[in-house]
Amino acid sequence: MTVTEKTPAFGKTEPAPPRKRNRHGLVPRLLRQPGTVAGMGVLLLVVLIAVAAPLLAPHDPAAHNYDAVLQGPGVEHWLGTDDLGRDTLSRLLYGARVALLVSVGAVGIAMLIGVPIGLLLGYRGGWTDRLGSRLLDVSDALPGIMVGFTVIAILGRGLLSLMLAVGLIFCMSFARLTRAVTLAERERQYVESAQVAGLRTPEILFRHVLPNLTGPLAVQAAGFLGHAVVIESVLSFLGLGLESDTASWGAMLSLAAEQQAEQPFLPFPPGIAIVITVLAFNVISDGINDALMGGGRTSVSRRFRGTLKAAAAASADGTTAGQDRTGSTVGAGDSSDDSDAVLAVRHVTVALDGPDGPVPLVKDAGLTLRDGEVLGLLGESGSGKSILSRSVLGLLPRGIHMTEGSVRLGGEEIAGLGEKEMRRHRGSGISVVLQDPMTALSPVHTVGRQLCEPLRLHFGLSKEQARARAVELLTRVGVRDAEGRLDDYPHQFSGGMAQRVAIAMALAAGPKVLIADEATSALDVTTQSQVLDLLLELRDEFNMSIIMITHDLGVVAETCDRVAVMYAGQIVEVGEVSDVLHRPRHPYTAALMASSPSGEVTGGRLATIPGQVPPAGSWPVGCHFADRCSFAEDGCREHPVHLAENVRCTRADDLVLEVTKP
Amino acid sequence: MGKLIAYRLVLALPQLALVSLLVFFLTYLVPGSPAAAILGAGATPESLAQVESDLGLDQPFAERLVEWFGAALTGDLGLSYSNSLPVSDLIAERLPATLSLVGGGLVFAGVFGILLGVLAALRPGPLDRAINGVTSLGLAIPEFWFGLILSLVFAVQLGWVPVVAYTPLAEDPAAWFTGMILPSIALGAPAAAMVARQTRGAMAKSLRAPYIDSLTAVGVPRTRVVVRYALKNAMIPVLASTGLTLRILIGASFVVETVFAVPGMGELLLHSVIGKDFPVVQGAVLVVAVLVIGVNLVLDVGYGLLDPKVRSQ
Repeated sequence: MTVTEKTPAFGKTEPAPPRKRNRHGLVPRLLRQPGTVAGMGVLLLVVLIAVAAPLLAPHDPAAHNYDAVLQGPGVEHWLGTDDLGRDTLSRLLYGARVALLVSVGAVGIAMLIGVPIGLLLGYRGGWTDRLGSRLLDVSDALPGIMVGFTVIAILGRGLLSLMLAVGLIFCMSFARLTRAVTLAERERQYVESAQVAGLRTPEILFRHVLPNLTGPLAVQAAGFLGHAVVIESVLSFLGLGLESDTASWGAMLSLAAEQQAEQPFLPFPPGIAIVITVLAFNVISDGINDALMGGGRTSVSRRFRGTLKAAAAASADGTTAGQDRTGSTVGAGDSSDDSDAVLAVRHVTVALDGPDGPVPLVKDAGLTLRDGEVLGLLGESGSGKSILSRSVLGLLPRGIHMTEGSVRLGGEEIAGLGEKEMRRHRGSGISVVLQDPMTALSPVHTVGRQLCEPLRLHFGLSKEQARARAVELLTRVGVRDAEGRLDDYPHQFSGGMAQRVAIAMALAAGPKVLIADEATSALDVTTQSQVLDLLLELRDEFNMSIIMITHDLGVVAETCDRVAVMYAGQIVEVGEVSDVLHRPRHPYTAALMASSPSGEVTGGRLATIPGQVPPAGSWPVGCHFADRCSFAEDGCREHPVHLAENVRCTRADDLVLEVTKP
Repeated sequence: MGKLIAYRLVLALPQLALVSLLVFFLTYLVPGSPAAAILGAGATPESLAQVESDLGLDQPFAERLVEWFGAALTGDLGLSYSNSLPVSDLIAERLPATLSLVGGGLVFAGVFGILLGVLAALRPGPLDRAINGVTSLGLAIPEFWFGLILSLVFAVQLGWVPVVAYTPLAEDPAAWFTGMILPSIALGAPAAAMVARQTRGAMAKSLRAPYIDSLTAVGVPRTRVVVRYALKNAMIPVLASTGLTLRILIGASFVVETVFAVPGMGELLLHSVIGKDFPVVQGAVLVVAVLVIGVNLVLDVGYGLLDPKVRSQ
């Protein structure tokens, strides 16, 4: 029984005001939620019971029967009787009337008072708002039930004072919600109306505020209706509700409490009635909220819902993981000799668990990283380059697995290793620097503490030794006054400096392989080249190899020795950077270069790449790029295309794709 | 840090002043005169006038306001209409039981709620769905009814704990503890459901955060990453809403105590509401408001200690 206010997920915020477009199709969306439909069904039943109570009740709810007091459930009295012999079932049915009447009345009163206050504060703004908001804050200082007590102390008992008592508890929350929505709309309108002269703000404001308000208000009202049922029962239970012979669930519970030693069944019927009614209101409230937000409870797999739907369609076409591997003779992906490979990735397929079987996200990928080499992994977002790198690290999100393939780190197989064995390699064998340094470091721990983790774990250093080494590392990556900054938090660093800290942490245990996953994409251009230079220096100093994951051709051109180009889960071309960028052999590589400001393809037909990357699960049987390729023939679409001589294109030998620099 | 405390104080003081003002105005909202309420139906005009002047009700508004505030600041909340005892004494007598109950409820809600929330976030699938079902139910169950059922099962039927069980802490700590178990569970259950939902959301979010990957990628064991890093990050939003949880617990404790016959402020409040004993109602509202505002102040500062971003502002 949370009697004060409807509590959204994080306690402090009111239901978020949605944008107008979200309202579209609210009712159909609600009807698609089985929980909400069930809640509405239950509620409808309660309403029907309340309306038809006189017809349904087998006995007069107020009739005393001293021959049958405190009976348990039986034939004559299905749910037994109370200490005056009154029929529990009949009182329960009539009790629904009080519960619904009071809760609807209370929420109505709360909205009548709260919404205009909120509109006024939000519309007027300025001092009115500041003062009014302070007044609303008073409600933060008092439990709602105390407000109810006070109202009843002043007005006495009765239906109206009961409604008022409950209504006044809620009105502040309605006022706040309304104020928030109005203010947000006002801010928006202020900006827009500055451009559209002649339209008066109040007009636009009310035309926009009211539609935006209905959704959140409905969410809050539904939740409060449930709370009101509980508060009514609390007040009736305490003897502050209606007269004691009026049948209400709370009053029934009050009797039940007195008689619990004599008739233990008494508290169950009214209690369960309250729980079911409140549950129905809560489910409906959550349902409206979800429908407005356009989503349900967040869970990892939900993020891939779109993919899963596509997967169902794809499996109908007969495209499943591995099916097109037949005849894949060349080490799919990078076919370089792996005798001097630090890291050798072979035939890696990564798939998402879908309801209709696995959905491949990366198919049959291979990479070879030689000692001291910087290998670029180039591709658009969604090409699978990050998933591939995560599968190498063993850090795939929940629900995504490497279904086949081999990853050899310094000759040792690490694919499929358990958490514990993998831990030996993480940090010292292979490590990662992520894109956004601000989220890649825990915001509530000092950088020193985070930096010391790998040092203490891998080298068993004492706290002091680890700190000393951390200072050396930070100094090396270019953090000034490293000792003094060890106890600072990530938000006290600039983006570039924080990324240097993240690099120091990744290098702390001396990895052989560093995966830089868009490590400079979030930084501004000057910082970006500094950090890239730093990475290249560190490669020599730490004697490591780097996989540079990026969507930026410039980064590849500046820093990489070789490059692997990924498209829709496949590696489409591999080679020395100078060769690939000079003479791309795959139309996608060429198209990518043409769409990048640094290069251009002769013929002019590929200046932009038409169409979109097909999402995982809806990849075509043949060449994944065929639908966007200007050179595609019918043959490209018929059979899976394999990587041959480092390019995955059936026409590789016919095409001459030349890129000229202006 | 000092600035943070000062800033919170600046916010809290007007709130407190406003609450006091509203509490003072209550006297004017009451229909009929308090003197009539005290003396009952058989009062003569003379005796009414006498009582009014005794209570200072015939004084001008401003004078009464100043006097009331002055008295309240020194802890003098007036005398009860019904038994002429000092309101502050009546409240002081009841406060320990209320605080015991609210404290017990908060501990239960915190421990159980965080545990359930973390479990749900760590184990998506059947366990998460089961916990979601339990918390949905928890949010819909009225505390006092849950208390009735608990007392029926564990005290009346099974006899594991005494039915009427309150023993002051100072008298017998062990008996106090036993007596507090059922009331704390009843009071804390819905709050636990609330905390569990907040924790689940916050924990799921922090488990998806990139720093989890950065730490795991350098070889930090999973348990350590979850407990040391994910949990600490997740606790920030949860702690931020403790003030709200506490306010809900205090309100609900007034009802739960009547189920378990805990002699707290609820009973006092109930009697004074029925008997229109306004000084007691006013006093109780004021004391609870001071309590809530004070605890929120402490929590806000504590929140600052946990979240370095807030601290350095």
